[in-house]
Amino acid sequence: MGCGCDDCEALMQPYIDGILSDDEVREAQEHLAACPPCEKRFRFEVSLRHFVRVAASEPISEELRAKLVGLRTTEV
Amino acid sequence: MSESEPTATEARRLAEESRNRVRFEEEALELSDQVYRVARRLVGSREEAEDLMQEAYARAFRSWHQYQPGTNLRAWLLRILTNLNIDRGRRTQRSPDLQPLEEGDYFLYNRLESTLPDENPDEERVIERLSQNAVVDALADVPHDFRDVVVLVDIGEFSYADAAQILDIPVGTVMSRLHRGRRVLKKNLADKAVTA
Repeated sequence: MGCGCDDCEALMQPYIDGILSDDEVREAQEHLAACPPCEKRFRFEVSLRHFVRVAASEPISEELRAKLVGLRTTEV
Repeated sequence: MSESEPTATEARRLAEESRNRVRFEEEALELSDQVYRVARRLVGSREEAEDLMQEAYARAFRSWHQYQPGTNLRAWLLRILTNLNIDRGRRTQRSPDLQPLEEGDYFLYNRLESTLPDENPDEERVIERLSQNAVVDALADVPHDFRDVVVLVDIGEFSYADAAQILDIPVGTVMSRLHRGRRVLKKNLADKAVTA
């Protein structure tokens, strides 16, 4: 890796989760702007998060949806 | 007026309660697809997920008065669902002891990149080394305590606080399990992607 920046790696997941303080966000952004290898891995982490979410999403079946509607206690 | 006959105020209250109940059931049903997407990854099979959904919705419709209007209904439904999942005895066996994971966050990236001939590939091409099945299998292989948190936060897009409430664990535990769970997931992905 180009920079050996352990701090940057430790900050990356919380950064994507949106839970860093303003100061930490600034620090992360400054570092990413100055370090292409980390910037690239950051884009990878964001894409991976998205890819996992989409790949793991299985829609509900119409049969189950109908069964759940059948569990209603109130009349429509 | 006889005592068995409700007063006008009482009748209004009952009518309002009945309207609220109808609205509650409609809102819960509108969320069924989103709840299912999380439920499906909390358990091993589609059948299990479908059974759990029906049990959870039946219980939610019975206990609707315990829901506080204005709070997160999707989180409330998933809390019922995860409790039922635990009641089914899933947690009677402890998670196996985990191997130490020394790999850092970049382990998966480095591993995938090494399977490409290019010197400096685009990150989209690196992601393409993964298949949808690899993701599903890699997630299923994460020990359940960690997987629950990863599924709620990364697939259900719940906040740490909501995930903590759903699973009835402290936020700090959500964070440590999330950290660990994501690393295990990436390690599993790395194993599957390279052999694929």
